Amino acid sequence: MATDELNQRIQQRFPDRGITVEPFEGLAGRVLFPPAAALELFRFLRDDRSFHHLSFVAGVDWKSEREVVYALWSDTERDYLLLSTRVDASDPHLESATSVWPSANWHEREAWEMVGIRFDHHPDLRHLLMPDGYEFHPLLRSFKLHEPEELEVKVRHV
Amino acid sequence: MSAPSASVSAPAPSPSASGTPSSAALEPAVPFIEIEGLRTEQFIPAAKEALSSLIAEQAQGKLIRPVFNWAGRNSLFPLHWGLACCAIEFASAFGARFDAERFGIVPRSSPRQCDLLIVNGTVTWKVAHKLITLYEQMPEPKWVIAMGNCATGGGPFRTAYSVVPGVDKLVPVDIYIAGCPPRPEALLDGILKLEELIRERGE
Repeated sequence: MATDELNQRIQQRFPDRGITVEPFEGLAGRVLFPPAAALELFRFLRDDRSFHHLSFVAGVDWKSEREVVYALWSDTERDYLLLSTRVDASDPHLESATSVWPSANWHEREAWEMVGIRFDHHPDLRHLLMPDGYEFHPLLRSFKLHEPEELEVKVRHV
Repeated sequence: MSAPSASVSAPAPSPSASGTPSSAALEPAVPFIEIEGLRTEQFIPAAKEALSSLIAEQAQGKLIRPVFNWAGRNSLFPLHWGLACCAIEFASAFGARFDAERFGIVPRSSPRQCDLLIVNGTVTWKVAHKLITLYEQMPEPKWVIAMGNCATGGGPFRTAYSVVPGVDKLVPVDIYIAGCPPRPEALLDGILKLEELIRERGE
């Protein structure tokens, strides 16, 4: 699928929503979209463009804002597609993709845990790799490596 | 419980168990096989004295405890629990080449049957409370070996956000084994050092 064709379809379907498609590294392309258009774009890509598989969701900390990256795979097109959106770092939250692709569940838990991006309407947004009660988002750039004596970690004893 | 000097207040026909010649002069010492022929007032002081000496020995830890100590330290059952690459060396120590079973060390799969917890690998904060639970499920007496640099002090991940800097923050550790990972000989040496420790403590 050519990037230009995808761009055309998206511009037809979502005129003036600030969604742009650019070529990316031999993949089907990279879609930059505003957070408000997330669910509509997800449903369009899954139902109309046959991107049925969500490979991963990742969070990136760019200090003033945080980026959420989705990688989609289409079995019919045999190609990957990257989605990218940016949310403000003061209140980083975004609509969850679990209603469109259930596999987003654990990936979004990890993105919340590591980079601190909240996913609204997520069915079970709790810690994945760290114990319950862990109060840091350790992959943020503002997180400093501590000497072990300084790092107080609450361990819930079950 | 009366002291061993019970013969002072005893009546004349007291069959003192110590069997000193002075009491034998009063009355012939009763052979043990004829104890059923003793009258009650003769039998009870003898039994009391024998029991009190037994209890005194047991209270000083001289009677049963050395037997348990010897048996326990020669049949340490570690928990079959692998955390990281040290678990490969742990498994290798029980293989044909090193054969830790010749020291009576048999890994068991249930903490209820174990008296030795070998923490072999990196302990993260996520697994920390599971380790504490396993330790608390083990019956007393129990010992802990921190195997490798990660379990000893966090190793190369000491400053990481997810790693416990030393398992002694969670459970009391008896033996630390250095190495990354320690070879099976080092693990066996650590277990034999633990046996020495158990013998010295006399638990």
